[in-house]
Amino acid sequence: MLLPLALNVLALGASYALVALGFVLILNATGAVNFAQGDLVMIGGFVTVVLASYLPVPAIVLLPILLAAMAALGVLIALAAYFPLRNRPPEAVFISTIAVGIILQNAATVLFGPEPKAAPPLLGVGEFDFGGMFVSRQSLAVIAVATLLIGSLYTLFAHTQFGRRLRAVAQDREVAAAIGIPVDAMIAGTFAVGTALAGAAGLLLANTFFVTPTEGANYILKAYIAIVIGGWGSIPGAVAGALLIALFEVLYPSMPVLLPAVGTGSGLFSQNTSTIVLDVVILLTLVVRPQGLFGEAIRQRP
Amino acid sequence: MRQAVPWVLLACVLAYDGYAVATGSNYTLRVLSVAGIYAIAALGYQFIFGHAGALALSQGTFVGVGAYASAIAAVRWGLPFDAALPLSIGLPVLLAALIAIPVLRLQTHYFALATLIIGQIVQLAATDWIGLTGGANGIGGIPGLSLLGAPIRNGWPTLALVWSTAALGALIVWAVMRGRRGAASAIMRANPVAARAVGIDTARLRFVAFLLSAAFAGAAGSLYVHVIRVISPEVLSFPVMVTILTIAVIGSRLRIAGAIVGAVLVIEMPEWFRFMRDDYLLAYGVILLLVVVTIPEGVVAAAERLFRAGTAPAPPRAADRTFVFPGAALEIHDVRRRFGGVTALDGVSLSVRPGEVLGLIGPNGSGKTTLVNAITGIFPAQSGTIRFAGTDVSRLLPHRIARHGIARTFQTVALVDDMTALDNVALAAPGTWRTARGGAMVLLERMGVDEPMRRCGELPYGMRRRVEIARALASRPRLLLLDEPAAGLNETEQADLTRRLRELARSGLSMIVIEHNIPFLAPLADRMICLDDGRTIAQGRPAEVQADPRVIEAYLGQLAPAAP
Amino acid sequence: MIRRAAILALLAAAPTVVRAAEANIPVLVPITGFLATEGTSQRNGALLALRNPPAGVTAKYDVTDTGTSPEVAVNALERAVSDGNVTAVVASMLGTQMLAMLPVALENRVPLTTMSGTAEITQKGNPYVFRFFPADSVVKGAQVRYAIDTHHIQKPAVIYQTTAYGQSGHAEIDKVLAANGIKPVYEDALDVSVKDMQPALAKAKEAGADSLLLQLHGGPTALLLKAAAAMNLRLPIVAGSGLSQASTVALLESAELKGVCGETGSSPISAETPGMAKFLDDYRAAFKSDPDGFAVGQYDATMMVLTAVKDGAMTAADVTKALATTRYPGLAMTYKSDGKGNMAHSAVIICFDGTSRTPNVVKHYEFPAE
Repeated sequence: MLLPLALNVLALGASYALVALGFVLILNATGAVNFAQGDLVMIGGFVTVVLASYLPVPAIVLLPILLAAMAALGVLIALAAYFPLRNRPPEAVFISTIAVGIILQNAATVLFGPEPKAAPPLLGVGEFDFGGMFVSRQSLAVIAVATLLIGSLYTLFAHTQFGRRLRAVAQDREVAAAIGIPVDAMIAGTFAVGTALAGAAGLLLANTFFVTPTEGANYILKAYIAIVIGGWGSIPGAVAGALLIALFEVLYPSMPVLLPAVGTGSGLFSQNTSTIVLDVVILLTLVVRPQGLFGEAIRQRP
Repeated sequence: MRQAVPWVLLACVLAYDGYAVATGSNYTLRVLSVAGIYAIAALGYQFIFGHAGALALSQGTFVGVGAYASAIAAVRWGLPFDAALPLSIGLPVLLAALIAIPVLRLQTHYFALATLIIGQIVQLAATDWIGLTGGANGIGGIPGLSLLGAPIRNGWPTLALVWSTAALGALIVWAVMRGRRGAASAIMRANPVAARAVGIDTARLRFVAFLLSAAFAGAAGSLYVHVIRVISPEVLSFPVMVTILTIAVIGSRLRIAGAIVGAVLVIEMPEWFRFMRDDYLLAYGVILLLVVVTIPEGVVAAAERLFRAGTAPAPPRAADRTFVFPGAALEIHDVRRRFGGVTALDGVSLSVRPGEVLGLIGPNGSGKTTLVNAITGIFPAQSGTIRFAGTDVSRLLPHRIARHGIARTFQTVALVDDMTALDNVALAAPGTWRTARGGAMVLLERMGVDEPMRRCGELPYGMRRRVEIARALASRPRLLLLDEPAAGLNETEQADLTRRLRELARSGLSMIVIEHNIPFLAPLADRMICLDDGRTIAQGRPAEVQADPRVIEAYLGQLAPAAP
Repeated sequence: MIRRAAILALLAAAPTVVRAAEANIPVLVPITGFLATEGTSQRNGALLALRNPPAGVTAKYDVTDTGTSPEVAVNALERAVSDGNVTAVVASMLGTQMLAMLPVALENRVPLTTMSGTAEITQKGNPYVFRFFPADSVVKGAQVRYAIDTHHIQKPAVIYQTTAYGQSGHAEIDKVLAANGIKPVYEDALDVSVKDMQPALAKAKEAGADSLLLQLHGGPTALLLKAAAAMNLRLPIVAGSGLSQASTVALLESAELKGVCGETGSSPISAETPGMAKFLDDYRAAFKSDPDGFAVGQYDATMMVLTAVKDGAMTAADVTKALATTRYPGLAMTYKSDGKGNMAHSAVIICFDGTSRTPNVVKHYEFPAE
């Protein structure tokens, strides 16, 4: 029971981490919340489904095409919803990206229909047999691909000129502009990367969990919460926050199975109670440690 | 002309209402009634989102709670609309008061998330508590509106009741936000620190705004449930919140007419796009994005800008009294303050006598502004005592300290650009709004501000400095802290400022003036103190301190760090 | 027969001679939001009837999306009836929207035909509501009775959704189980956003369940069946109508469906009768997708209205009377009001044999109106 459970946590957590990372990248570069991030996951899922209907290949082959398409969409969103409002307070972008979310959700309903759809698996279906423990190939592939993406993102940040410039922009836009960094291009690039990550999460999730036009709201809340747990603006924190949410989501409702002593009868471990408990934990976190568990990466100047 | 814009827009809405009544089917009347209900919710939302400037995502939840209160009261206890209304308003207000304690002090995006999460909890509760709320199916068979036992029919009677309530709500908003509270909210949005420094209790202001929001939402919820006559957890869902937010943004978040025009536009818009069939919601999203991006301040504020007139209204008459400022003594003993690993104040002690002007100098980062922040309670001292006029003020909140008679200005001018110089000053003055403005006129004249009705954003820099000092004086301080008042002023302006400040000191006001500009400070100050690395390194008469080798070394060390 | 139709068509084309009877039937259903899949089926069923009305009748219609909120549904109904002359309305299958529309229908005296299973809508004494999908009491009765008859269940686990659909169905399931002296050993309510079904299944197994009774929407039904197959659960599963939707089945491999059964009003895809086979072909041609019980139910409902018009019902009042009193042999079943507006009194159980994604109808249950 434990090994498949742990793999579930990792696969789910790694996918959430991609969403949260995209969210935090845009947050750092612009100081604004991209509320369409959840809907971008959904779009990523649907684009994968559509791509697969033309190219019947494993999803791993589709990943590069999807990343490119989503990156282009990201630049488009930056142009439509961020740049015109760059000198306004951050709430303005919050609201413009809500509008983007409405557009994406309804465009998906019109283009792809309201029914849930399944994307192809990354490599193939089936299970590996680890001495009697059956482990889904898809879960393993999801973990591998997500880790690879997070790893390349780290390399991009830590070891490339683009990454250094991006960090300079996140630190202080005016200073970055003063030392000759093309700030606008960097921000557009951030939207591209952030959107591509959300799309990748969509591809990874849409095989096991399907994709429907209305599910964006669910993912944006998870990303938001992950960022708060992990520390506003912290990149490692975002990954950690996402993993913690997945851990909670899978383990909490499974408590009666893991610890038979608590019994299955009570509603204490139902899914809704699980959501409420997580919500209350987040509220307490906010109240007790407004800077998140790992501290706030963006310092608010007094 | 500019004042006329909201009235013209309101007249358009009323004309549209009238048109609907005259020609309309039940359908037009019903859609307009729903728009009126949203207008009430949006009017309330302006308190917290507009005036208090907090991105609350709880207004939909408050509407839902008010709606459920009315629905349950109607179906379980047979209470009609008007009898249950106090409950519908009271319950969301109570909920707001409860959640305000932990979340209201949170910053923008944390506050947004916290309110979003509370909304989710309430929605889950409404879904799961089947015995009370009917669960996901909700409650049907809710009676229609009624007043004092007389049923209010569908169609125009309902429309009339809804829009009269909206008009009443608009009147309340106008009465609450005109004058001082509006001006105080403006400075709180522009610069919360400055707001506290002029004695505004920002936490209280935000709290009251939050409760008022909830009250309006509750009333809207009650009307909603008696007009639609069913309720389900759908009313608590995020789209309702998004609708209210959209109304506030599209209409203009600070304008009463904005909530009303926004509600009519946003609620009617999807109906206008019905001809687009399956794509109508898509079109709605695109229009929303276009409006947010092209006129982010909202249609009403944008219309006002188009018709902005050249003539300002006449200023009020200056009060007849001339102000005197009896000064008080400040005693600081061994004050310490650390930020992380940096010691900013390392045991500073000093005193200011009534009517004395103390010059505070020191190289950058020596702790001058930190000292002012400690005195005014913005970053309180971690140890040591600060006694002012015989009272220990070192543990008080900033607005309390301000009310004790300590006023300050800021290194960078912290005024509300969008408000007149007069109102910027008046918001710090005691008394009724009328007397506050009269007093403000006196102070502006005294500081040499000759265009009190110009918006601060349009004033030249030197003028803005003077407005800021006038604002500091408006709270009738006994001690004035000036942080680099001469920065950015030319020599004529500096001389003028010296003259006016000396005059204030003569009337008894105590002052601490932070300044690098020694030629400005030396003739102004009675005494000077030099800080370096958070310690006092010299004090005495200006000439003595200027000549002190330790002072010269401290400044030299900053100018030429490589010097031996 | 053909000549008669031709003459009628000719007459219809020459309005000065004899006007064809015209029916105005607005379609107000959710095609966005969380009931979009079901609502789209409902719309398509209605459209198929409206586009091919009985000879001698022309149908005028307008489709309006009711989304998920009651206010939008009420607005849509007010708008539809505002120009008068509405014959009947194809009304949302979302229970809350129906409850909101009932007073407006009463006020304007227009009949509503719906697929909503919510018990309450026909308990209000409103003479203008006609439910053409078997009510929860019927389909849940079929579901539980089949589980008892076939699998002799003693200790079922009931897993349902925290939506109106899930909660209403769950209440009925518990009622029927109790009537048969059975108490569920495990019950779990899932939000539609729940993706991982393993905890619920593991808990059901831990509680010693001998079967699963589901009341989940389409997507979650598929998620649960997938998880059950992956866990090798091997418990008999009798699902709710979510299983009967083509889009649900499309998400699953045939093997994952093996042995799974579910209730529905009717199963057009199984094409049991020639009429149903023709409906299936027409539907596929028109909408490029497979119909489900909602589609055929709304088709029958709309056809019953159109037939009434053909038989001389001129006004909404005539149509209401016809719906309330006549017996109509539809594709899925024969419809007859029980006096409260419940028109459908039978349900079917479909099962998958693991070789294809097309279910077989294994059992019909009749619940004659009392």
